[in-house]
Amino acid sequence: MTGKVNTQRSRGFWAESWQRFRGRWLPMSALLIVIGLAVVAILAPAIAGTKPVICKYKGRLYFPAMGYWKRSWENPVFFQDQFYKRYPENLKEKDPLSWAIYPLVFQDPFRRVRDGEVEGQPGNQPNAAPNGNNWFGTDQSGVDVFAQMVHGTSIALLVGFVSMGIAAVIGITVGAFAGFFGSWIDVVLSRLIELVMCVPTLVLILALLAVIEKPTIWHLMAIIGCTRWTGIARLTRAEFLKLKELEYVTAARALGVGNVAIMFRHVLRNALAPILVPITFGIAAAILIESGLSFLGFGAPPPNPSWGTLLNAGRTNMDSWWLVLFPGLAIFMTVLAYNLIGEGLQEATDPRLRQSQH
Amino acid sequence: MISYLIRRILIAVVTLILITFVIYGLIRSIPGDPITVDMAQSDPSRSLSPEDRKRLEKIYGLDKHWTIAYGQWIGNLVRLEMGQSISRKLPVARLIRDRLLPTLLLSVSSLLITYILCIPLGLWITVRDGTVGERALSTGLYMLYSLPSFVAALFLQLLLSVKLGWLPLMGMVSDDYEQMSLLGKTWDIFKHALMPAACFTYGSLAYYTRFVKSNMMEVVRQDYVRTAKAKGVTPVGVVWKHAFRNTLIPLVTLIGLTLPALLSGAVILEQIYSWPGMGSLFFASIRERDYPTIMGLTLVFSALTLLGQLLADLLYAVVDPRVTYS
Repeated sequence: MTGKVNTQRSRGFWAESWQRFRGRWLPMSALLIVIGLAVVAILAPAIAGTKPVICKYKGRLYFPAMGYWKRSWENPVFFQDQFYKRYPENLKEKDPLSWAIYPLVFQDPFRRVRDGEVEGQPGNQPNAAPNGNNWFGTDQSGVDVFAQMVHGTSIALLVGFVSMGIAAVIGITVGAFAGFFGSWIDVVLSRLIELVMCVPTLVLILALLAVIEKPTIWHLMAIIGCTRWTGIARLTRAEFLKLKELEYVTAARALGVGNVAIMFRHVLRNALAPILVPITFGIAAAILIESGLSFLGFGAPPPNPSWGTLLNAGRTNMDSWWLVLFPGLAIFMTVLAYNLIGEGLQEATDPRLRQSQH
Repeated sequence: MISYLIRRILIAVVTLILITFVIYGLIRSIPGDPITVDMAQSDPSRSLSPEDRKRLEKIYGLDKHWTIAYGQWIGNLVRLEMGQSISRKLPVARLIRDRLLPTLLLSVSSLLITYILCIPLGLWITVRDGTVGERALSTGLYMLYSLPSFVAALFLQLLLSVKLGWLPLMGMVSDDYEQMSLLGKTWDIFKHALMPAACFTYGSLAYYTRFVKSNMMEVVRQDYVRTAKAKGVTPVGVVWKHAFRNTLIPLVTLIGLTLPALLSGAVILEQIYSWPGMGSLFFASIRERDYPTIMGLTLVFSALTLLGQLLADLLYAVVDPRVTYS
């Protein structure tokens, strides 16, 4: 016995929660699905598109597929040389020495691929059932559904994260002020929360959307964020009411720490775990709202390859079952994954459930 | 009790005034007004002279600032007058009255079915916890909970109407409804309501069942349940008499939360099924910029939501003797 003390640091709250989360296969596989969707969203131009991922043209290397992320990232040389988005024939014609690597699936999310555009692949028929070239079929104007869905993934993910990010900022701020300061601030803010809760969500969102003259997907995200923060605010308020009575708050105050610093540096950190749960569920709800609005025709304007827009096309054209089935399944899987993650988080971070499992 | 009720109703009135004020301000700033939208839809060649436009604006009260117009609207409301729909040329109250019944038919029946089914389902899941049947049912319910109702609505339409032809695709009544006997009429509406009602119900049913189950799991760990078991109460008696009654309290308060969700759902589902309810009227009136109808519907939606919350709080006192409002 040398009397050596084991000085290994005990694991923190988040490390322990992650340990519990990781141990359960269902939330973990849901997390993997979401990560997979994020990968699809980021690599969408390389999965489905008609612009080469990389090509050599007149002695230089270009990455035209970046144009799917942002139009200006497609090198202007292709506009000057009048490619008209038809890469295979134009590359060969204007520079016989050129070469190009195309995305995995040669289909465009915004237009119909025509006959002879690329060797060995016939053009798309309108309303074609799923086949070798159009894995998920085509819509009424012959645009490939698989390509639209791959490019729509980013919208579904962005809507979830951005709108819930906005909702979290509003909800946490309102809830923190209401819970921490109490008295008249609490009364006013609680009334505000109730007020927003009482308006049926879709009524408020439709009215707000109608006000904007040309709503884009970003407007939609902001509006969803501005209407879906009440649950987060109520929970934050309850947590703050509970935590502000604890000793470490008194200690911080005795040390002369300011109110705002106590709120956001000390109290919020300890309240964050329970708040994360409604945020995760909120992401699922936001995806639902966005696809619902796009489905009603109130979403971002076309051309927008949102999953809800595809569903809408399927609704007006009931014989094309693939327009309903595949986007519907995609929305369902994404919502299910977020709900499972939310549940996993709840079980991993809730100390009451934790004890009952031992 | 009475004073509590009066206070709650006063708060509800203030909330209603605030909500309608905000919505009124919002809809008046929507680009386009009922007159221009109406003209654009009917006939482009039939353009309106500025004098005629002025006259129409005066009739509909569009010439005034929206805060003044809102004051007038509230003033009319106090006299129980909701105004005249601009695009449909009918009193708003009558429009809403015609649409109220179809919406309530769907939402109330779905609420009833949910409550009737979720309790036995939840109890069954609790009792059979861990068996294969329970796992299958729980997983199925969880998947249903994540399935968006409009996706389910489309799947059902596709399967039951387009492929199999068992149920009508949309609408509330068939074309030859007027010629049917009373029984035939009921059957006709039932057939039309089956799919939308199912879409309204399954989500909340899944949620409520899980809710009953998680509450039951908490209650069966309590000491009084152990005591009941120890003194020889039958398993059915333990679950039904001792455990389940205590899960009723949170279940009742859920009504207040479900109502706004049902009404929001009505906007999408009624649109899909062309159901002649308030949701589809709201949708159409936003498109037509029909201010009086939008306001009337917002009022009814919000009032129903507040009513649901009040009802939940009152029922809370009924099922939990510890809660009193005095």
